[in-house]
Amino acid sequence: MISNYKKKKFEIIVFSILLLLPIFIDSYYLDNISYFMCWTFISLGLAVIWGMGGILSFGQTAFFGLAGYGFSVISINFLGIAGVSIWSVVLSLIITGIFGMIVGYFLFYGGIYDVFIGIVTLAITLVLETFMQQTAGPEYAIGSARLNGFNGMQGMPTIGFESLQFGLLEGVTQYYFILLLAIIILISLYKFKQSKIGLVFLATKEDRERVSSLGHNVQKTQLIAFTIASLLAGISGILYTNWGGYITPDSMGLVSAALPVVYVAASGKKDFFSVFLGCIFFVWLSQTLAINGKQFAIIVMGLILVISTRFFPDGIILMLKNKLTEKIKWL
Amino acid sequence: MVFLFNIFYQFGDSLAFLLLAAIGLAVIFGMMKIINLAHGEFITVGAYGTVVSGKVFNLPLPIAMVFGVIITVIFGLILEKLIIRYLYGRPLDSVVATWGISLIVSQSFLVIFGPSYEGLQTPMGNFKLGEFSYSEYRVFLIIFALLILVLLYYLFMKTSFGTLARATIENPNISSSMGVNVQNVYTVTFAIGAGLAGVTGALYAPTMTIVPSIGQAFIVSSFITVVTAGASPFVGLVPAAAFLGMVQTSVTFFYKSTIGLIAILCAVILIIRYLPQGFSGLILKTRSK
Repeated sequence: MISNYKKKKFEIIVFSILLLLPIFIDSYYLDNISYFMCWTFISLGLAVIWGMGGILSFGQTAFFGLAGYGFSVISINFLGIAGVSIWSVVLSLIITGIFGMIVGYFLFYGGIYDVFIGIVTLAITLVLETFMQQTAGPEYAIGSARLNGFNGMQGMPTIGFESLQFGLLEGVTQYYFILLLAIIILISLYKFKQSKIGLVFLATKEDRERVSSLGHNVQKTQLIAFTIASLLAGISGILYTNWGGYITPDSMGLVSAALPVVYVAASGKKDFFSVFLGCIFFVWLSQTLAINGKQFAIIVMGLILVISTRFFPDGIILMLKNKLTEKIKWL
Repeated sequence: MVFLFNIFYQFGDSLAFLLLAAIGLAVIFGMMKIINLAHGEFITVGAYGTVVSGKVFNLPLPIAMVFGVIITVIFGLILEKLIIRYLYGRPLDSVVATWGISLIVSQSFLVIFGPSYEGLQTPMGNFKLGEFSYSEYRVFLIIFALLILVLLYYLFMKTSFGTLARATIENPNISSSMGVNVQNVYTVTFAIGAGLAGVTGALYAPTMTIVPSIGQAFIVSSFITVVTAGASPFVGLVPAAAFLGMVQTSVTFFYKSTIGLIAILCAVILIIRYLPQGFSGLILKTRSK
């Protein structure tokens, strides 16, 4: 175990800096960093299925949106009941997980493979977007929550304990909550990678038939990983909805579906920590660029995607991280 | 009689749309197993090429369309030289890279041409049957879509380029050792695929609002048609487009057009679940029996 931590010095240093950050910077920047970290979970999910298993899915945004909408619908319907926000989070994650399992079942037990998975998951994402966009009329309401078409939903409560007057996800608490969640999930993902299922899943990327002839259940393994990824995307969706207080169909569109792929591809899809760090960096970059107009940010993101697949297929952040740990001996 | 023609017209319209949307993608995918996610942007280039050259140089529509197609072919060739040719044999990376290209191109159009561009009028007139009136141009599109299929069949089955191309699909290494310039075959095929996307953009430019996201109207339809067609799109394209057109027409007939789109997406998901090789797999299986 000790040698394991020695290898992870770089990660530990970065997380120590992040943990001490609230002492040095004011709450505006802290809220921004919380926002950047909201996106790490959906990217980590993509890193699981794409980086480990070689399954390129554009469906992550569908789960992101589904969880966001699910959280909004449930919490608005039961507004005022004690602990509603917490229950809404749990319920919407369960719904997202079940949806992920159903989609995964169709994909993997249906014998869909390679690029076709990308196309089918893209189709699913666009179905949800198309459906949500045309829900402007009053007939599209679940209980007392109207879906509001293009404009999206608002008015959901902040996650927290109303009776204690304690918002779990506001300001510094939100920052620490998301950061600790990220640390827990990163450690669990490293464990998953070394577990039996994780190793089988890694092997399916190389050769599905050989893995299956060795007696492992390929479809089941892929389904488990896909469900994990959908849950991670759901966590992002809920945190995003909670952070901004709204969710729109745009969050499931073509451009939104591209963003996690950019973050993961440019960061280095094979290393979870690089994805975490790179995701924060690239969300920051696209937000900074978007000040001059959203289209410029998207053009730069597209360029980063093309350049990193053409010249750095292993990812820019992972490459920099490896260079750094080589140069500085004690890392 | 009028009722029947009405249904036939709607069906033909949606069949032509699906066929034209998918055909360029199908050629590139069928030949090189590359899913070109920038396909929609090729269509956008074709449409803008047609409209802009028509407006700026005051060209008659058919010549403007030819211009649009030529611009798309050149655009496709440049992309192939710069990026795509390094990604043959890396299908997932090519998906990602072409997606990057699609983001860059569609947003650049937004920056250069603004959120919308003055469109062209739909050419040809209308004809009346009973109390309904139909666009002649739509009927022309149906015929043109089928004509392109016949031409492609001729190109790939009867010409010497077609023979080389089919040999390259079958086995690139052996073809290469027999003296086929595989790289050239790929480049030409990519250019044909881009050109076909340009044709689609040029043909639909007079019928649609010219916006930078015009290609996105096609992209979903094109992917689902190619996916439903299956592993060898040349065989499966027509039955796939016919099936999806039927689903779309019948659902749109009773509900709204957005529900029609959702219906075909669901149909595709079900088809892939039960026919993972698509319609071409089904046809090839029954033929080999």
